[in-house]
Amino acid sequence: MRNTYLWLLQLITGILIAVLLGVHMVLMHLDAILGFFGVDATKITSWESMIERSNQGIWAGLYIALLAVVLYHALNGLRNVILELTPSVRTERVVTRVIVAFGIVTFVFCSYVPIALLSA
Amino acid sequence: MDKNNLITFKVQRYDPEHDRIPHFQEFMVPSGKCLTVLEGLLYIKENLDSSLAFRASCRMAICGSCGILINNYPNLACHTQIEEFHSDTLTVKPLPNLPIIKDLVVDLIPFFNTHKSIKPYILRQDAEEMEKPTAEYAQPPRALETLLQFTHCIKCGICISACPTSASDRLFLGPQALSQCYRYCTDNRDEGEKERFPMVDTDHGVWHCHLAGACSEACPKGVDPALAIQLLKRRLVSRAVALGKKQQPSSTVPSPAETKPKLPFPGFTVK
Repeated sequence: MRNTYLWLLQLITGILIAVLLGVHMVLMHLDAILGFFGVDATKITSWESMIERSNQGIWAGLYIALLAVVLYHALNGLRNVILELTPSVRTERVVTRVIVAFGIVTFVFCSYVPIALLSA
Repeated sequence: MDKNNLITFKVQRYDPEHDRIPHFQEFMVPSGKCLTVLEGLLYIKENLDSSLAFRASCRMAICGSCGILINNYPNLACHTQIEEFHSDTLTVKPLPNLPIIKDLVVDLIPFFNTHKSIKPYILRQDAEEMEKPTAEYAQPPRALETLLQFTHCIKCGICISACPTSASDRLFLGPQALSQCYRYCTDNRDEGEKERFPMVDTDHGVWHCHLAGACSEACPKGVDPALAIQLLKRRLVSRAVALGKKQQPSSTVPSPAETKPKLPFPGFTVK
């Protein structure tokens, strides 16, 4: 059932991306929408506001979660495309290992920023 | 056949012993009402070029031998009327996504091997009853209805040739094998899910279907393999997350104690 779980995770991460990226987009880029609901979003993109949010665990957690789901969704999709276009058992093994390694390295490298900012 | 009404058959020829690449050859075939593409090919074989190779058998869309690409659309030659195309020219090619043996004949051995790999037969735990059956397994009409359309598959390979995933991924199991996997897994007499699921839950199995639906559109028997693949996905997910009702395999039905008396054989009317 390995591939069934991988596909289920692909679906779940797709939904999570829509939610987490939605939160990020509304906060950072769609201040007009927040203004419509009576929220003053002009300060949200300021440096002080960003540092203040970074000190809160929930925001760091949200960004790390967004990074994880985007990485899984994108890299699993890329793996499926590559395996379909180059079907062979050897390619499968190499592609899977390279993509898993790339995903882990990228996750560790990129999640360092919100973790470091927590203690800033 | 109307000898005055001629239609051009552009047939793809390929003989691996002499040709490097396939080429087209044109034949003028007398056309007429209700004439099928297969009859056109038979006319060529009998009157114009006896070296033309193609498969055909039953001539009534039952055996699935004469699957070819007619005007770039896969169909059975015996099931396609020449008149349908309203054209003076018909392009006839072998089914794509399958290796060509000669002219219009494709190698169906990989296709049948894939079909065999999903164990397309009833699998039961009661091995003794399977070896030496004492009675029939019960199957109510409602249980039969859930899988009936998938039993109409004639294994012609047309769904594979229409499938875009089979075109890009030569290891893809294909709509035929996947729909037959669903057909047997959903059968209330079957207990073979555990043996079949590892075959289809692979990198080139059920999850690689793009849901283009080309297989269902092309099937000459009206089977909907795309639906079967979606239902198979649902079945796999429900087993993976342990949701959904697992059907109990049907038990055997004892033979009726009394059978109706047979009708007497009618007597000879001519002495």
